[in-house]
Amino acid sequence: MSAPSGKAFVLRHETVLLFVVVAEWCCFNALGPRFGTLDNSFDILRHTVEIGLLALAMTPVILTGGIDLSVGSLLGLCAILFGKLWRDAGLPPEVAAGCTLIFGALAGGLNAALITALRLPPLIVTLGTYSLFRGLAEAITRGADTFTNFPPSFLFLGQERWLGLPTQAWLFLVVAAGIWVLVHRMTYGRTYRAIGFAPEGARFAGVPVQGRIAGVYVLAGLVAALAAIIYTARLGQAKADAGTGYELFAITAVVLGGTSIFGGIGSVHGTLLGVAAIAILNNGLVHARQPREVAGMLTGALLLLALSSSVLPKLFAAWRRPPPAPVRSTPSPPT
Amino acid sequence: MNRYFRELSVAAALVLVLASLAVLAPGFYQAQPLLSLATREAPALVVACGMAVVIICRQIDISVGSQFAVVTVCAGLLAAERWPAPLVALAAVGLGAGLGAINGALVAGLRLPSIVVTLATMVTWREALRWQRQGAFVNLPDSLQWLGLPQAAGQWVLIALALVVLVTLALGLRQLAAGRFVYAVGSDAEAARLAGIRPARVTFSSFVLLGALTGLAAMMNVVQSPQVDPKSGTGLELKTIAAVVVGGVAISGGRGSLWGVFAGLLLLACIAPALTHLRIEPYWEKAIQGAIILLAVVADGVRSRKGRS
Repeated sequence: MSAPSGKAFVLRHETVLLFVVVAEWCCFNALGPRFGTLDNSFDILRHTVEIGLLALAMTPVILTGGIDLSVGSLLGLCAILFGKLWRDAGLPPEVAAGCTLIFGALAGGLNAALITALRLPPLIVTLGTYSLFRGLAEAITRGADTFTNFPPSFLFLGQERWLGLPTQAWLFLVVAAGIWVLVHRMTYGRTYRAIGFAPEGARFAGVPVQGRIAGVYVLAGLVAALAAIIYTARLGQAKADAGTGYELFAITAVVLGGTSIFGGIGSVHGTLLGVAAIAILNNGLVHARQPREVAGMLTGALLLLALSSSVLPKLFAAWRRPPPAPVRSTPSPPT
Repeated sequence: MNRYFRELSVAAALVLVLASLAVLAPGFYQAQPLLSLATREAPALVVACGMAVVIICRQIDISVGSQFAVVTVCAGLLAAERWPAPLVALAAVGLGAGLGAINGALVAGLRLPSIVVTLATMVTWREALRWQRQGAFVNLPDSLQWLGLPQAAGQWVLIALALVVLVTLALGLRQLAAGRFVYAVGSDAEAARLAGIRPARVTFSSFVLLGALTGLAAMMNVVQSPQVDPKSGTGLELKTIAAVVVGGVAISGGRGSLWGVFAGLLLLACIAPALTHLRIEPYWEKAIQGAIILLAVVADGVRSRKGRS
């Protein structure tokens, strides 16, 4: 997608999204009496942190023009691994968490190696690891084994408050700030958008394209492992089906936040707004006594609406242009 | 030889698996279990054929599982209303084509990326179905099961139907102008446009075709059981995409054949029964499936790198 006056466009999309989030909040506040309370806000925050983390990690991936379908499965595998290390290997939770993070980065490294060293399309590589990671989690637990009875000092991470906020919210804020600085304020991360916009161009400009792309997938694996630890701490148990379908929510949040699925355009704060829009919608509908499925349906519809709204004005302009030239800027197909 | 290298290597892998099963677990080769395995996989083959067309056209559709579930439930409801079987089948194919047309219109008409569009429709259809049905099963009239035939005959009819779809589409893709258009658009949409093909129409049609085939597959699923499960079709998208990729269709479009897809699907379908016969825990199936997908793409990658240097 070419960006006509790129900055204004991005700004507009995110302003509109902010407005949508605020409108959602007000609307649900009027509908459900318990929605606006501080307790419920913290509840939303708790339930959103894992998907939010995955969406944050997905943003650089999509900015470079890639996609990672394996994060949800990796979350499940890491949760199992963490439980295994703590219960069966007898490691203290901190050490087990450290090992899990390293493993997440390594698993992301597997994606990275296949994508960059062999130049395989990310869509299909991560589809394979999506199946592989989930399958390994199921094989390790034989589909039934769950890990519970974690010590309270570990559950503090997912169920208690620290300095007024849910503990995991602090971690989320740190990661969000880190990725925001990386993508928007560091030369290293600013190349992501250059790569997504035109990989060849970035290469000619002296950017080590393959290295940067590899880094993005390793980061996604690392963050997925962190999300797995927080998930385990919040629920107090680790199961092989942890995080099923989370990759969809993460991608939805990123695209809703204005990041082009073709790469090159987008922002981390847009992703945060996208996460907020989905989280508030899900929680608010439950408080408004609507069935949970409606929230899922509306998330899908919202995604389509967000996509169409970014394309329709361009198509309309193309039709209005006097010489009826067909739209030349055919979006590059998924790779 | 070189042209069909990819298809032949999949076929070789399949033969290898079958041969090692013959040595290690001869119990695998029993007529009745094999027949029911083939019947179970027949709908997946039909969907995989359609998926191959869409992927050759350089698109992808991950909503087929949800489409499959929606059509299955609707066909079940119509059958429960005592509609005659041919009419139900027609309605199933029509509904599938309609669902495919929605994807096609969004992808070809609005030029949206297919992966995200079908991601959205996948979630939307699945949740809408859950909302409407609350997971309730649909009981079918007895007359519909196996189309009123004895079970063995019904199974052979379904297998034959799937093979007819496979052969028709395989020949059509190779011989018909419309089939060549799909390869042309998948290779380079702009070049195809300059050659007088309308890429948007080809893309739209391939989605409609996939939808119609998914509808047909759903119907083939309905006649197999006395009840309709609203959760049916979960993971179908992954299974068919895996079969297509393992079968040598390039995910970047424009290359591959349905014969490879056929071999790929057979290879993947053999995993679960093979595990049982080799006394390996069935929980390994998904991991092995993932490993096979990765192996196939890695083989592709290594080969194309060698070709370049």
